[in-house]
Amino acid sequence: MHDDDRPPAFPLTRRDTLRAGSAVAAASVLPPLSSAAASTQSMPLEPGATTTITTVVNGEPITIAVDTRASLLDVLRERLALTGAKKGCDHGQCGACTVHVDGRRVAACLTLAAKVDGREVTTIEGLGEEAALHPMQQAFIDHDALQCGYCTPGQIMAAVACVREGNATSRERIRDAMSGNICRCGAYVGIVAAIEDAAAKMGQG
Amino acid sequence: MSALTPTQDRMRIDARDKVLGRPLFAADIPLRGLLHAMTTPARIAKGRITAIDTMAAAAVPGVVRVFTHEDFADLRVTPATLGGNQPGFQPLTGTEIVFRGQPVALVVAATLEAATEAAELVEVTYEAAPFTATMDEPGAEPQPYETAVEAGDAAAAMASAEVTVDVEYRHPQNHHNPLEMISTTAHVEDGRLIVREGTQNTNALKFGTAGALGLDPQRVDAVSPYIGGGFGQKNVLQLQSVLVSRAAMALGRPVKLVMPRAQLFHTASHRPASRHRIRLGASRAGRISAAIYESDQENARYDHFLRSAHNEAVSRLYGIPNYLGRERLVRVDTNPPGHMRAPHEHPGSYAFESAVDELSYALGMDPLALRLANDAERDAISGKPFTSRTLAACLDRGAALFGWSERRAAPHSMVAEDGSLVGWGVASGAYKGTMCPCVARLRVQADGLTRLSVSGHEMGQGIRSAVGAELMELLPIRADRLEIRLGDTTAIDQHHTAGSWGTGGAVPAVRAVVGRFMAALTELGGPLRPGESVHTRLMALKRPVLEVEIEHLGTSQGPDALERMRRGGVAVVGPEYPDFVSFSWIAHFVEVRVEPTTRRIRVPRVVSVADCGRVMNRRTATSQVAGGVVWGIGAALREAAEIDPRYGFVLNNDLADYVVPVNADIGAITVDLLDIADPMLNASGVRGVGEVAMVGAAAAVANAVYHATGKRIRHLPIRIDDLL
Ligand code: FES
Ligand code: FES
Repeated sequence: MHDDDRPPAFPLTRRDTLRAGSAVAAASVLPPLSSAAASTQSMPLEPGATTTITTVVNGEPITIAVDTRASLLDVLRERLALTGAKKGCDHGQCGACTVHVDGRRVAACLTLAAKVDGREVTTIEGLGEEAALHPMQQAFIDHDALQCGYCTPGQIMAAVACVREGNATSRERIRDAMSGNICRCGAYVGIVAAIEDAAAKMGQG
Repeated sequence: MSALTPTQDRMRIDARDKVLGRPLFAADIPLRGLLHAMTTPARIAKGRITAIDTMAAAAVPGVVRVFTHEDFADLRVTPATLGGNQPGFQPLTGTEIVFRGQPVALVVAATLEAATEAAELVEVTYEAAPFTATMDEPGAEPQPYETAVEAGDAAAAMASAEVTVDVEYRHPQNHHNPLEMISTTAHVEDGRLIVREGTQNTNALKFGTAGALGLDPQRVDAVSPYIGGGFGQKNVLQLQSVLVSRAAMALGRPVKLVMPRAQLFHTASHRPASRHRIRLGASRAGRISAAIYESDQENARYDHFLRSAHNEAVSRLYGIPNYLGRERLVRVDTNPPGHMRAPHEHPGSYAFESAVDELSYALGMDPLALRLANDAERDAISGKPFTSRTLAACLDRGAALFGWSERRAAPHSMVAEDGSLVGWGVASGAYKGTMCPCVARLRVQADGLTRLSVSGHEMGQGIRSAVGAELMELLPIRADRLEIRLGDTTAIDQHHTAGSWGTGGAVPAVRAVVGRFMAALTELGGPLRPGESVHTRLMALKRPVLEVEIEHLGTSQGPDALERMRRGGVAVVGPEYPDFVSFSWIAHFVEVRVEPTTRRIRVPRVVSVADCGRVMNRRTATSQVAGGVVWGIGAALREAAEIDPRYGFVLNNDLADYVVPVNADIGAITVDLLDIADPMLNASGVRGVGEVAMVGAAAAVANAVYHATGKRIRHLPIRIDDLL
């Protein structure tokens, strides 16, 4: 192909240019935010009705104005760049968004962000660290309790809660207590084995 | 190059990152100035738009723009959007509505909440036309039958057979529902369009987007390093993909659309419903002499979804000398179906392996013994040898692990202590041994870093672990500093990853690139001494880095395959090669228990033994097989799209009502892999395992239900009400 025949790189019609108005020219990839608190400074104000909440996320206190319609999941993911919690349905049907609020597991997609005012939120990012994995994280590796990894943060947060709730006493109970977390890849055998293993190490098997 | 020995035990390469929640899936990348998009779905199944009122939507605070078909009329549909099946139709380019749920508007706003609210406020007026929702409704249009497989004289052999069965099975419409919903994020940077989407085919995304938007493909990058499950739904350019890219270009800001689950039931592909009529003829001694298999598969009105291929694998399960397979498509008004894990092999094996089971009872023969009695030496269809024929070994080993010899032959004869009916079923499976072209680049640094870039996509099947294993088997490098780049057109040229050709394509390519690397290293300083690492050698040579690249073709492919790939196309070879045919094999053994009063069906244990050639990573391959079994159980007992023929849409369009297996549905799954290298197929001796894993699993469940209850249910899913 000669250079002359090449289609223009980005053909924009005059209408596009006019309608786009004062849009920002180019985007750049932001580095992942190390601190949730720091990230709130640069975020644009929400256009809808907002409410200001004060919460602790993974041990860090933050105050943030959120759209009153916003779910905890969307605030974590879109405002705080904590993308470990995943969206698999947005309807409380899959468990991919499972996080802890005051130590109890919740579906972050069904939890209004406004509801965590005054509460503590823990996500997968706050569970363990590279150098010191939580026993449940290590058990998921050891039993290959994952494939694509999309359900995994939710599975692990649910699994830790399952053990703490005293529901990890038998395979049957684990299976029941973990049935709100779908793994479409079908890693259930490994997930149950990992929870049995970690429960023993967490001293609550 | 070293012999094809069993690989070391290694953990899944990206497991650590995944348990930490670190991998950035397509919708996870933080971009400055990101806008959120939401679509408005069509509320009729067929007809046209007569008016769209966007005033109320545009007035929602935070809304930046409401796009309609008037804005996107310049989008083109090109052959470059190919990726296995061809959507053939781009929504939002005109007023025509061809399926319910088709996007008719795209709202872009500063927040997701604003976009969602506004998308619901777009007022569309339609002129509805009559339509046909399913192949059972009047107006469904069968295409002529095509002969798919033919050997010997099936009609004559059937007429003279001593024992025959003639049965019909039905398979419903299924939806992949990978847990990651399909999202597209696009932005323009330094004169390039960068598209992020969870896709098994960054090549189609790159070339398809370029073609649709009239751009030079060399200025479009497609990035998909982690995919939250694909199963074939992420095979092609999505209906949403170019809309998001076009919006990002028009607005000059990054735009992200995460298509809601309910809409995905209509905008993304699905496994089409199908009917299967199977006739088998055998001698009284149990030798199957004839098979005639005819299938109907639903299809969209305007889309070809290639053809069906129900016969390809099942015609190779046994040595049946007289075989006729005919297949046809039936056109209705739906969105395009597509490939879903073992797309034709799963429904085909469900039907065929159920029919073989029925034949065993007609013969009064053990279902396992019948299968073993019909093993094949050579491929009865092509007359060529198999690269590897290990189905009997899979059956034998599975039977031993399961304890099949304890089985009581008569249906309805095994009862558990709690009164549950116990049933044991078996079924075989096969899936083609496929390969594709692949480009691989290997860079090793003196400082300890190794970077391998390969054509291939990681959707959870473990290709990162498979290619990493081949590299580490062959090259002494630091495992903790190994980076593997996949699914990224900026890293290396890409090819669609599906159909179990990922491993067959990429692993031998890695072996080849390591061969080239070793040759280069040896030239620089002689062969590595035992115990010497590549990094130490480079250090000694005072070379900070050594990098080599190769192009690798599938067995028997010519350079045109690479050309096709580099134009955005798909170039796959197998199962038939010039001198042989190649398949992976599996045998499933299933126990079901049916509660006497509620008739609830449980699957407490499954044993599956597979042969996929040399096993690159036993952990990830085992997980793949277990996952395939979970899919088989889901297909057998749970999953079906309920389509309302009056409105032409999927009623159960969410994860609460489209029921996929959850943890409590799954019992013990024991997986064994024969691990026999297949050097005839390729230098690494590997074949795929992700698809064969599911093939036959649903039939084994259905056969176990028959054995437990004496009731032969000839449709899926089998539910409580079928057994009452
Ligand atoms: S995304 Fe919250 S349960 Fe599915
Ligand atoms: S690992 Fe893919 S959904 Fe669970």
